[in-house]
Amino acid sequence: MLELKNIYKYYNPGTVNEMCLFKDFNLTVKEGEFVSVVGSNGSGKTSMLNIICGSIPVESGKIILDGKDITREKEFRRNRRIGRVYQNPALGTCPSMTILENMSLADNKGMKYGLGRGINKGRVDFYRDLLRPLNLGLEDKMHVKVGSLSGGQRQAMALLMSTMTPIEFLILDEHTAALDPKTADIIMELTDKLVKEKHLTTIMVTHNLRYAVEYGNRLLMMHQGEAVIDCAGAEKEALGIDHILAKFNEISIECGN
Amino acid sequence: MKKVNALKAAGAFFMAAVMTAGSTSMVFAEDENYVIGIEQFAEHGSLDNCREGFLEGLKEEGIEEGKNLTVEYKNAAADMGTAGQISDNFVSSKVDLICSIATPSAQSAYNAAMEKGIPVIYTAVTDPVAAELADEDGNSVGEVTGTSDKLPVEQQLEMIRKMLPDAKTIGILYTTSEANSESAIKEYEALADKYDFTIETAGITQTSEIPLAAQGLLDKVDCLTNLTDNTVVSSLPTILEMANEKNIPVFGSEIEQVKIGCLAAEGLDYVALGKQTGKMAAQVLKGEKKASELPYETIEDASFYVNEKVAENLGIEVPEELSSTAAESFTEIIESTEE
Amino acid sequence: MDFVITILEQGLIYGILALGVYITYKILDFPDLTADGSFPLGAAVSAALITKGINPYLTLLAAFAAGVVAGICTGLIHVKGKVRDLLSGIIMMTALWTINLRIAGTSNVPLFSKETIFKNSMTEKIFTGGASSYSTLIIVLILAVIAKLLLDFYMNSKSGFLLRAVGDNDKLVTALAKDEGNVKILGLAIANGLIALSGSIFCQEERVFEISMGTGAIVIGLASVIIGTSIFRNLTFVKSTTAVIIGSVLYKACTAVAMRNFEPQDMKFITAALFLIVLLISMERKRKVKTHA
Repeated sequence: MLELKNIYKYYNPGTVNEMCLFKDFNLTVKEGEFVSVVGSNGSGKTSMLNIICGSIPVESGKIILDGKDITREKEFRRNRRIGRVYQNPALGTCPSMTILENMSLADNKGMKYGLGRGINKGRVDFYRDLLRPLNLGLEDKMHVKVGSLSGGQRQAMALLMSTMTPIEFLILDEHTAALDPKTADIIMELTDKLVKEKHLTTIMVTHNLRYAVEYGNRLLMMHQGEAVIDCAGAEKEALGIDHILAKFNEISIECGN
Repeated sequence: MKKVNALKAAGAFFMAAVMTAGSTSMVFAEDENYVIGIEQFAEHGSLDNCREGFLEGLKEEGIEEGKNLTVEYKNAAADMGTAGQISDNFVSSKVDLICSIATPSAQSAYNAAMEKGIPVIYTAVTDPVAAELADEDGNSVGEVTGTSDKLPVEQQLEMIRKMLPDAKTIGILYTTSEANSESAIKEYEALADKYDFTIETAGITQTSEIPLAAQGLLDKVDCLTNLTDNTVVSSLPTILEMANEKNIPVFGSEIEQVKIGCLAAEGLDYVALGKQTGKMAAQVLKGEKKASELPYETIEDASFYVNEKVAENLGIEVPEELSSTAAESFTEIIESTEE
Repeated sequence: MDFVITILEQGLIYGILALGVYITYKILDFPDLTADGSFPLGAAVSAALITKGINPYLTLLAAFAAGVVAGICTGLIHVKGKVRDLLSGIIMMTALWTINLRIAGTSNVPLFSKETIFKNSMTEKIFTGGASSYSTLIIVLILAVIAKLLLDFYMNSKSGFLLRAVGDNDKLVTALAKDEGNVKILGLAIANGLIALSGSIFCQEERVFEISMGTGAIVIGLASVIIGTSIFRNLTFVKSTTAVIIGSVLYKACTAVAMRNFEPQDMKFITAALFLIVLLISMERKRKVKTHA
């Protein structure tokens, strides 16, 4: 469903700081896969996400989504089929607009943003039904400005909003990293639920090894622009946290850390 | 919350102040005490002279400050928005007459006073017809009339030719936002051929551009001449300094300019212009004539002013026929008398 | 009473300017100096067309359209040229000085003898006798209310929501698969259209076009927006659009009162002091939640 083919990515090309991150990098993600991606800082996890979304360009290579070559497509166009949740809860919602307004905005994704009324009164109950299972009380605060919500509440909203309309791909960029452990758990459970309900192909970058092991059906460990662990299905089930940590140390020693 | 309350109180106080200010501003006319609002567009010598002359002219007709006249004077500091507010103020305080000095003030006063029956007498408006304050025949379009300081372009050109028999190009520095300057330049360009001159111009939008524009102009011309351009005239000392370095004479448009270092001018006596205006105003105040019945007036005679010291410095001889008929001849350069 | 009427007239005319500045400053968070150029642009277009005999009411639409074009240019410079917001506005403002001069033909175009939206055969019939001294106020009030209602209608539309989003969190707009650059350009276009409209009305009220009439327009607009939104911050039943128009009236009231008691030369300082006082009193400064929760 998603293919990264022969990706070459250089940072600061032509300068003293020139650094080659991806050298002939290849990755295939099948439909329905939920991929957890771990790795040390600078291993290329977030860069890979950015390349898929189109936030950063590549020197050469192809990105193919569902058979279509989207390498040259602009970021905002790609987002038609892609949902994305950021690490920073502030980036997923509009703080000066209310919960109702935010959800109305997200509900319209993929359709025209013309002079039709921003809030569709007939959909308000639908939004409430989406918010109720979160058990955060948000369904009673529809007219509260999102800016006054807590980080966890905003991240929950971001998740809902990015999956509200039909998408093919969900990209989670360390989306629980800025939350406290309990809230992070709630968000992960919500994530899992949404992914299973909507059969979303998902890539989740995380620093939390427990989540990487517990959620998803494929695990990728990145290091210096390459995948050093890539296991799926039963193999992944058998993986434990210790195994992953061991691999981490191995590559750290190699690098002389 | 406290702050919001304080704010609401402040807001209410302001509105109350506005209301009371509005109602107590009416000045009562007792026993034939005239109230005149004078609005002057900018600060410089020529306009100040007009104001002086205006008050003198009124005095000669028996209307004097302190006796039977109260004058409110406001200067708009060359800002159009301020001029509008001054006009509105005068109208709402119901003055008996508004005297406007310079075109933008005249237009805004006329606009504000149009339906309120307050007459507007203007002065130092170069082209009242173009400003739509008078029609093509010179008659007033409403309760507005006054005097025009139209530049004596032909006399100036004639004079320059006599002073500098070999000169070929005349430079003119002007501000693109002053309509009077535009029409004056058109006249210069139309008449220049007759006296064997070509005109070079340099336009600026504000004071800070003057040094560079003047530099560029001085390299191409034999002499400069001034219009009644407010911005340029206010910066005359700067221009004179630069011109003197290159030994290029600068001709003025008015007596004040010759005093501070211009070589010569076929100028209008702005004080006399003001006086003439004052007399017109007196007629209207006393009820002898209505403003709409008075066509606008101009001063026909330009007078020759010369500065001998400047002539000496530049090595120019003033022809006998001019110096003998000079209205005033200065023998020294006075430091700028600008406020 | 005259005093109050003049304040209301000026306040309402500049209130439309304030609506435009509200869009760029508050909603888009884009300090747009184009206003100093687009305000006289509307005036120049109207003056030029009225002098040619075009119906003055139609010139209002033409002025709005001209403002829209100016806003689009600023937007293109910013989005495609990647020039900073402040500088894009300054570039357009400077260019418009020349453009306005060319459109108007000269730096001073009087309209005393022409028909305007305030003085034409229709108004003469409608406003007779005592009502004639209120005609300007009534017409301006109608125009301001129409502008406000149209803007409210737009802000509650899907496109309006997107506009609010782009000023709040432009990454979300991209995530919603919309080009955030285009949304910004649209916002600038609408705002400058309103500003130019305001300039056209002002020019017809003053019956003269003066090239320098735009200087300081952005300051007046900002003052009106800030005064309006600060005072009515906690009164949620007053919509922001109404608040900024009231802010404009209050600002004009204060300057008019100050003019009575002080010399015109002191006016700018008093304006600045007033501005500062209002900002300080409304202590709850807007939390700029751009990249931190």
